Amino acid sequence: MPHQAPAIDREAVPQMPNRLGLEGIEFIEYATTRPQALGHVLEAMGFRAVARHRSREVVLYRQGRMNLVVNAHAADARVSATVDGHPVISAVAFRVKDAQTAHQSCISLGAWDVASHAQAMELHIPAIQGPGGSRFYFVDRWREFSIYDVDFVPIPGVEQQPPALCDMGYFGIVQYIGASRTREWVAYLETLFNFITIPDDKRFGILPSGTLMSSPCGSFLWQLVEPDPRLEDDAGPECLQRVGLGLPDVPAAVAQLQARGVEFVDSATLHPEDRGALTRSVLGSVSFELVHQPRQPLYV
Amino acid sequence: MHKLDRFGMDTITMAGTLDAKLAAMRNAGFDQVMLMARDLVGHPGGVAGAVQAVQASGLRPTGFQVLRDFEGLSGHLHEYKIDIAKSMLHMCQATGSKVLLVCSSTSRHATQDLDELARDLRKLAMLALPLGIRVAYEGLSWGRTVNEYTTSWDVVCRADFPNLGIGLDSFHIFAAKTSLSALGDLDPDRIFLVQLSDFMWNETPSFEERINTARTFRVFPGEGVHSEQLADMVIQLEQMGYRGDYSFEVFNDDYQQLPLDTVAQRARKSALWLIEDVLHRPVPLPAWTRQAAA
Repeated sequence: MPHQAPAIDREAVPQMPNRLGLEGIEFIEYATTRPQALGHVLEAMGFRAVARHRSREVVLYRQGRMNLVVNAHAADARVSATVDGHPVISAVAFRVKDAQTAHQSCISLGAWDVASHAQAMELHIPAIQGPGGSRFYFVDRWREFSIYDVDFVPIPGVEQQPPALCDMGYFGIVQYIGASRTREWVAYLETLFNFITIPDDKRFGILPSGTLMSSPCGSFLWQLVEPDPRLEDDAGPECLQRVGLGLPDVPAAVAQLQARGVEFVDSATLHPEDRGALTRSVLGSVSFELVHQPRQPLYV
Repeated sequence: MHKLDRFGMDTITMAGTLDAKLAAMRNAGFDQVMLMARDLVGHPGGVAGAVQAVQASGLRPTGFQVLRDFEGLSGHLHEYKIDIAKSMLHMCQATGSKVLLVCSSTSRHATQDLDELARDLRKLAMLALPLGIRVAYEGLSWGRTVNEYTTSWDVVCRADFPNLGIGLDSFHIFAAKTSLSALGDLDPDRIFLVQLSDFMWNETPSFEERINTARTFRVFPGEGVHSEQLADMVIQLEQMGYRGDYSFEVFNDDYQQLPLDTVAQRARKSALWLIEDVLHRPVPLPAWTRQAAA
């Protein structure tokens, strides 16, 4: 009887590689020379300042599963000074299986290393350079203990695990890129992080332009937006532009946030809907996008 | 559209300071310049001074050259070349150049495995990507493994990375006697730079002859014995849909001892030959007609 190979390719089952063992966003970092002003914005959005860094002017904000770091350390905040003093999203930390291995893997593929500035007894969190002077950190100790216990001191009397307003969680990041740069940034995110491009007919929220990618773990999305060719002066530097927050009930969240003083973009073409809403930009650069989150994981 | 639009000179063609070279190009009507790393580091004001001079000249950088003997090395040699590449990329970015030129390796220490060469170039392209720089890979006609554009294109295809493309140099194509017919296999969007020059003899069979000619006796397009071929090459590239830049990569010992304006005028004559006699490009309308239309 002739040997028959098993029919393993019949249904083209996708492999969904996840070389780094990505498992979501551990924290997002803003750099700013105006930490208190940004703090007020974050508190209106439901974040609570829970801890301060031991050696630098850095504050940890938290709500629910979201950690957000505001970095006003002079050397780091200088980056935001280059954009007229406006706060910038200076880093995104990914949860990975093994931080050192993930870092080495990215370096061997051509990522730029970022020198650590950890002080004695502080955690060295490996990082690579991202778009526009931002950084991607790799964190592997998020199950057994909190990295913040090492570098941060809790603010006395503050609830360390404040619940999330309206059950919000990180949904994704919007990255502004240069004209005709989509293919290049897609290649970057595919090669280093195994992100997957989402077909154009799948969109979330109310700002669907650009190219949407998913993390291989499916727990957050990444949106690449080129300049609008109709606008002649829409050619700012490449950057991580805003954070998307996923939640089950957008209208309820909009009402609650409005009561806390948050204003939303409300025009004929762009206004709060059941699918999503966009907060009005404050401090020159900071806005959040609310996105109705249908299910977990987001895509894959 | 500027009259000499898409054509420019390389700084390597002329003697003198960077500032004098930029001024001569500007006076001859060019609006772009292919920069050499040596121009920057040798500037009295250092790299920052050179960057300032380029910006003040109003000339757009065509690209930045040149990273040599990069691909195919291993161990410490690879790490060393990665460091060199990073420094080159930083300089390239500082000048506002969007293209880094990389010449195929001549090193006996480099592997001849095309997939490994492709892997290293992919890594270089990844380093260049966040900086907004594209990498143009050019086959030197005396490259050890890659010495024809057909092979450099093969390596670029194997690497398959969007900001890695090919750099073409007419000298190397004519010196190696590679047929122009294979140009049709190239994707015009992945040709990141075309460098043009001619030379005075028909045969350069050995690597040594190619190196000597390439470094001392190239001439501008239309001045040498391969004018017909060069015209064919440019016409074919235009017909394929290439819309990138052409730069005159002319190493010539005579031009190194002539007044800069004399050399720049020879370059202008060459550009006009290509624009008017070869490509028959329509003459741009005077500025006042555009203002009236607006």
